[in-house]
Amino acid sequence: MSNKNLGHHITNYRNVFIYLLIGTALTVIASYVDFNVKDSIAGAIFVGLLIATIKGYLVAANFMHLNSEKKMIYWILMLTVFFLVLLLFIPLLWNLNSLSY
Amino acid sequence: MSDSHHEESFWRKYIFSTDHKVIGIQYGITALLFLFLGFSLMMVMRWQLAYPDTAVPIVGSLVKWLADLNGFASDGNLPADLYNVFGAMHGTIMIFLGVVPIIVGAFGNYLVPLQIGAPDMAFPKLNMASYWVYFVGGVVMLVSFFLPGGAANSGWTAYPPLSDIATTGQTYWLIGMVFLITSSLLGSMNIIVTIVQLRAEGMTWMRLPFFVWSQLVTSFLLVLAFPPLEAAGIFQLMDRVFGTSFFLPSGLVIGGEILKVSGGGSPLLWQHLFWFLAHPEVYVLILPGMGILAEVIANNTRKPIWGYKSLVYSATFLGFMSFLVWAHHMFLTGMGQGMSVFFQTTTMIISVPSVIILTCFMLSLWGGSIRFTTPMLFALGWMPMFGIGGLTGLPLGLSTPDIHLHDTYYVIGHFHYVVAPGTIFAIFAGIYYWFPKMTGKMLNETLGKVHFYFSFIFMNGLFWPMLIQGLGGVSRRLSDGGASYAHAQEFLHWNVVMSYSAWLLAVAQIPFIYNLIKTLLADKSPNPDPNPWNATTVEWTDTTSPPLGHGNFEKTPVVHRGPYEYSVPGESTDFTPQTQN
Amino acid sequence: MEIPYNVELREDTGLYNSKLGIWLFLASEIMLFGGLFSAYILLRTGAPVWPPIGEHGSIIHLLKDTIPHATFNTVILILSSVTMVMAWVALKQKNLGKYKMYLGTTIVCALIFLVVKYFEYSHKIHEGFVPAHDTYMALYFTLTGLHGLHIVGGIVVLAYLWGPGISMWNSEPERFTNRIEVAGLYWHFVDLVWIFLFPILYLLN
Repeated sequence: MSNKNLGHHITNYRNVFIYLLIGTALTVIASYVDFNVKDSIAGAIFVGLLIATIKGYLVAANFMHLNSEKKMIYWILMLTVFFLVLLLFIPLLWNLNSLSY
Repeated sequence: MSDSHHEESFWRKYIFSTDHKVIGIQYGITALLFLFLGFSLMMVMRWQLAYPDTAVPIVGSLVKWLADLNGFASDGNLPADLYNVFGAMHGTIMIFLGVVPIIVGAFGNYLVPLQIGAPDMAFPKLNMASYWVYFVGGVVMLVSFFLPGGAANSGWTAYPPLSDIATTGQTYWLIGMVFLITSSLLGSMNIIVTIVQLRAEGMTWMRLPFFVWSQLVTSFLLVLAFPPLEAAGIFQLMDRVFGTSFFLPSGLVIGGEILKVSGGGSPLLWQHLFWFLAHPEVYVLILPGMGILAEVIANNTRKPIWGYKSLVYSATFLGFMSFLVWAHHMFLTGMGQGMSVFFQTTTMIISVPSVIILTCFMLSLWGGSIRFTTPMLFALGWMPMFGIGGLTGLPLGLSTPDIHLHDTYYVIGHFHYVVAPGTIFAIFAGIYYWFPKMTGKMLNETLGKVHFYFSFIFMNGLFWPMLIQGLGGVSRRLSDGGASYAHAQEFLHWNVVMSYSAWLLAVAQIPFIYNLIKTLLADKSPNPDPNPWNATTVEWTDTTSPPLGHGNFEKTPVVHRGPYEYSVPGESTDFTPQTQN
Repeated sequence: MEIPYNVELREDTGLYNSKLGIWLFLASEIMLFGGLFSAYILLRTGAPVWPPIGEHGSIIHLLKDTIPHATFNTVILILSSVTMVMAWVALKQKNLGKYKMYLGTTIVCALIFLVVKYFEYSHKIHEGFVPAHDTYMALYFTLTGLHGLHIVGGIVVLAYLWGPGISMWNSEPERFTNRIEVAGLYWHFVDLVWIFLFPILYLLN
């Protein structure tokens, strides 16, 4: 890796750092905002998790170099995330009575 | 490449070795001892089932000693509380301390680097660590037998709320499991990295022996399915140690009193996390067994395995699908119909690749000149046995018949047909097949055949009646084998048949143990044939028996062809090594 | 005996061994925290009120007071992630002094995180909000506790690489740089988990 390339990296890391700080500020502020969804904090949860996901993406893509990783790693992570989604949401569907609506 | 020239101390060479071959053998010996222990527990339980509440012969005083130590009343018989302990620990030991360590830890460790032409596993020190973490987990499990209240007694599935309020043994069980899970995780990551990164030159994906494929898929299952159980184990530890209520619902009444906990938890949560592991775990048990069989069958039919690519794709698909079927263990938890339809559909789908694999093995026999060696006999015995195991699983995977069969001996029969004659036969086939590679000495064939035929008969005598009892509605986990239930009366005589089969099955293992010891003690020929079975794969053709010291190969192998090139027209021998140009 | 591809990249995969190893490890970590988050979702959706009301009432008011601490901890962890990746860049630039400075900062940040966590825990326990109080508290302590254990583990590894482990820089500089990259991947993952723990445990109640 050339030095010029490294310089580019450093600028990038600094920018990501700033974005992450902004994201943290936003998510704290958002938690005080009433999103006016009837009798629930569903709106706040949605916004909070959206910001967290964006922040998570920034960390994974830049600090963990996932924006330029090898194919093998992507395959493993795609598989993992697929199973993760199953694990997170199937228990929620437990009372599902019909597969067609 | 060999390190054997400079002196290594005994400890470095045999105990804290980083050589995958030594670690593989360590795993193998430890796991065989645990298999023996798990089987012994079962033999005592079978006495209680056949002749409830009578003193156990031969080991009666030992049972009484253990019962006294645990604080249970016993006159040399197996009290119900201790029966529960034995039942839970039989399952735990057999699966987590016996079969998985031997089939992944021992066979995987020993053979994967040799078959792909690698000098060792990718992370030798981590490899040593995984063995010792497994060892510690095993010791924790063993120690728990001597606690007041005995070892874990809530079944190998450790369902809460029962397990949350069980005696201290359960806490040890959880700690032991955390060790075992960690060990499996480290070991399986090592296997994946080894297979992906250390394949010899020319060893492309489609030239890998099927055994290596099966280890690869298995390792992925372990890496991705075990952590949720680790999470569940941590929750249960929190429940038991810090009094949290992850698995305890509000208003739980125990012994007529409302349990003093905050409540708000869900027993179903445990079942989800547990079966998210435990269903893939079934394929962890069977896939490497299929891998062993592919090697044995191709070698002993002297022809290429039928449908190599179908095998590989089926195994991969099987691994993937095994994450999508876990709730078929939970049909009776009051799930919605939509959910049960989804899970019974995925369950039916997952049976397809299993059938493809079995069919490939059967078709491989066609037109082959079969050598009826001991490993081949075990492979041939495996096919119908696994077939029965698979077919008896179908009614359990459909939500309607499962209502009748759930929690009966039918489940036990089905599961044991898959794992006992299924996986254990594959393990035996593997031991007979690779023993000459590990030691440079062939096991005695006659003793091997005696071992096979009697094992085959008594395994069926042991497990077939379970299916009959289960269809008759006899529940599992009854310490009197159903004697106190009216509807079980006409099936009780089967208990005696099964128990005698179990003990005779133990007797049938004597030729095997004798064979192992006698062969190990025998003198080794100065220059043993490295390839006594005339096999094609790298571990037979490119290294000595046993392989050289740390480093495996004198010269790094270069692979030129697929793994099963037997009886290639125009060749001078009926086997063409993978490394032959 | 040498294991191939310890340092150099394997041609067909483009990876060195420990890079693949750490990603597999992280995959299993994803599933571990997946199990934890799955419990969070199931218990939260099953609860009539969240956080549940227990013996000492609801934690919600106490929680509002701790938001500044948790926000501070979030910033600290993000900062430690940046210095971690800068330590790796410093090694790429062959600047050992800068490496020690950046990695040292990461370790200090991690320690500060734990200290803040300690005050948070003791405050809650002091007010009677122990793990057994209700399912929210159980989840709070289990999830942050396990995350904290990951921080402790990370500190041990990073301290080794900052101190005695550095001797490898003289013998095998490239392998050492790889080690820092791999340790960094783990550290960023721990940061990433916190990014999700922060809103679900502190903010969205």
